[in-house]
Amino acid sequence: MPSLLSVERLTKRYAAHTALDDVSLDVPEGSVYGLLGPNGAGKTTLIRIINRITAPDSGRVLFRGRELAQEDVARIGYLPEERGLYKKMRVGEQAIYFARLKGLSRSEATRRLRAWFEKFDILGWWDKRVEELSKGMAQKVQFIVTVLHEPPLLIFDEPFSGFDPVNANLLKDEMLALRDKGCAIIFSTHNMASVEEICDHIMLIDRSRNILSGPLEEVRRSYGESIWRLEYRGAHETLDAALKGLCAVVEEAPGVAALHIAEGRSAREMVAAINTAVEIRSLGEAVPSMNDIFIKAVSWGK
Amino acid sequence: MGKIAIIIRREYNERVRKRSFIIMTILTPILMLGLIAAPTLMTSIRGSQKEILVVDRSGFVAPELRDSEGIAFRADDRTYEEARDSKPDVFGILVVGEEILTDPRDVQLYCFQSATLEVETAVNRQLSDIVEKHKLNSYNIEDIDRILAEVKSDVALQSFTVESDGGEKASSSALTTLLAYIFGFLIYMFVILYGVMVMQGVIEEKSSKVLEIMISSVRPFELMMGKIIGVALVALTQVAIWAAFLAIAGNTVISLVGGASVLVDGAQMGRMAGNIFGSLPDAGYVLMLLGWFVVFFIGGYLLYASMFAAIGSAVDAPADAQQMQMPVTLPIILSIIVALGVMREPNGAMAVWFSMIPLTSPVVMMARIPFGIPWWQVTLSTCVLYASFLFMVWFAGKIYRVGILMHGKKPSLRELIKWTKY
Repeated sequence: MPSLLSVERLTKRYAAHTALDDVSLDVPEGSVYGLLGPNGAGKTTLIRIINRITAPDSGRVLFRGRELAQEDVARIGYLPEERGLYKKMRVGEQAIYFARLKGLSRSEATRRLRAWFEKFDILGWWDKRVEELSKGMAQKVQFIVTVLHEPPLLIFDEPFSGFDPVNANLLKDEMLALRDKGCAIIFSTHNMASVEEICDHIMLIDRSRNILSGPLEEVRRSYGESIWRLEYRGAHETLDAALKGLCAVVEEAPGVAALHIAEGRSAREMVAAINTAVEIRSLGEAVPSMNDIFIKAVSWGK
Repeated sequence: MGKIAIIIRREYNERVRKRSFIIMTILTPILMLGLIAAPTLMTSIRGSQKEILVVDRSGFVAPELRDSEGIAFRADDRTYEEARDSKPDVFGILVVGEEILTDPRDVQLYCFQSATLEVETAVNRQLSDIVEKHKLNSYNIEDIDRILAEVKSDVALQSFTVESDGGEKASSSALTTLLAYIFGFLIYMFVILYGVMVMQGVIEEKSSKVLEIMISSVRPFELMMGKIIGVALVALTQVAIWAAFLAIAGNTVISLVGGASVLVDGAQMGRMAGNIFGSLPDAGYVLMLLGWFVVFFIGGYLLYASMFAAIGSAVDAPADAQQMQMPVTLPIILSIIVALGVMREPNGAMAVWFSMIPLTSPVVMMARIPFGIPWWQVTLSTCVLYASFLFMVWFAGKIYRVGILMHGKKPSLRELIKWTKY
């Protein structure tokens, strides 16, 4: 898949701190790119640079292989973390207004909006004022506003916050459907469970740097290698003693331990050593959750 | 341009459809009519006539006193004390002393209720006239009344400006003064009413957090421009409705309440207008004035509205904005003061400078134009005004975008240049 968006060595400094330090990424068409990182890591700055809300100090952003220009903003759909709609304005009118600012004609915007409202079964909201909607309802409208002009690049900043599980699921399905149509999606979040479900690539930003990136499966496998989870019957001390030098033992609960095999030693040796010390109830390679990876990667950096 | 048009449309529609707009549009002329009609109504229902007993010891005053609207005089033969002790049901007792001809202070008005300025003035004026007339009559001049009528005259000075080609052009400093006041007041009113509307629109965008979506869709310059022009159209709509309303309702009220008093006022107004426009200039001159008025009025509104937009961009809450309005409205007041000085010396250094500075030029230049000034000055002033408006809109847009995203970093010159390209 060709890259729709390439970010090359972006750096952005503010008065007191560096928000982005030499960050690069490639977002292919028809994929979801997860942007992960703790609060204040620089995700929002990166997104704002892509949206041309703010300018980088150095580095560049390429859209379809050439430098991103002001006109390209119409080809981006952006759902900011700080949601906002005009409170006094009617829902339908407002969605059409934003779509027209993105270059759609009134009739085209109306037609598409009607289709979306039918799909979400919210046609009754058309003439309501935004202030009459609940927060979740307003978010739904905002999602539609973001995708209405059918941009090839979509940027969602914490899209699931404020949604109940049913609606979050609905939203997730819509995102995946857009991906299947060929949209490139940048998806910024703290919610690791949703990352596992929908991301194809991820980048973990911590303290303004890219500390981990790549296709999701690769990242997980690379972290999963050489980590085993053991449930056993026996004394913790004997296990520790038997595995000394072979692997690091992390006691997770009484009778449960995570084992990290040391460099150059094999799983076979480890199993043999365990067998002599304690009774194995179960032993398996641990595929770490994104949550594990996130915590581990971020705490390593410290 | 396309996006600006879309924004103008939204700003206009949203405001014009607002309930508060409709209510204010209807209510304001009613309130204004009330303000105009109330005094008229009050004078026409002045209530009972005030009766005044006249104890005349001079012998010539009482017969000459004429009943006027609201005051009736009744001669009384008793002394003041007798009249007072009889407790008559009258407003008061006027005691005219014997020495009134030689001592103008020998006259007293005793009131049973507190005296009003209106009654005092009326009585005083009549007494003065009577005494004056009596004194004149004592000279025994023939035909004194006719002579007096002939002597009375109202001078109407016609002033002209001598042009370089030797021709003369009528000028009227009264007209100019009036215009300067009207321009100053109109601009002040527009700025206060609608400039604040622009500012609140900008603040609303920030507080409802729409701005991030807006900035990722349009340039801040387009957004600001759309807002300012949208509100300007709202202003025009509202003022047009008011003007129509007042014209219709005003006519109705005058014909209803009509009464002599209004007509008298009307006649007086007419005479005053006659004095002001006595040397009414030709139509071309009036059109020229009107043309420049439109140019400077629109320019002035746009510049001040964009300053309000900048204030809105810089603050987060309407409460913070309140204090910031002061420095913006001050130059308007200053320009009215300067404009009055300008009329004494339309081509002095102060006049020229203040008519070039864009903050004061709309009012000051309008005060100067009727005096006839070099065309290049008017042109330059216009260019400066509109250029500074465009700059101010751009600047407001920058504050709008940068203010929230810079996180306290002071922009360097190089960065500012980079920003302008964004």
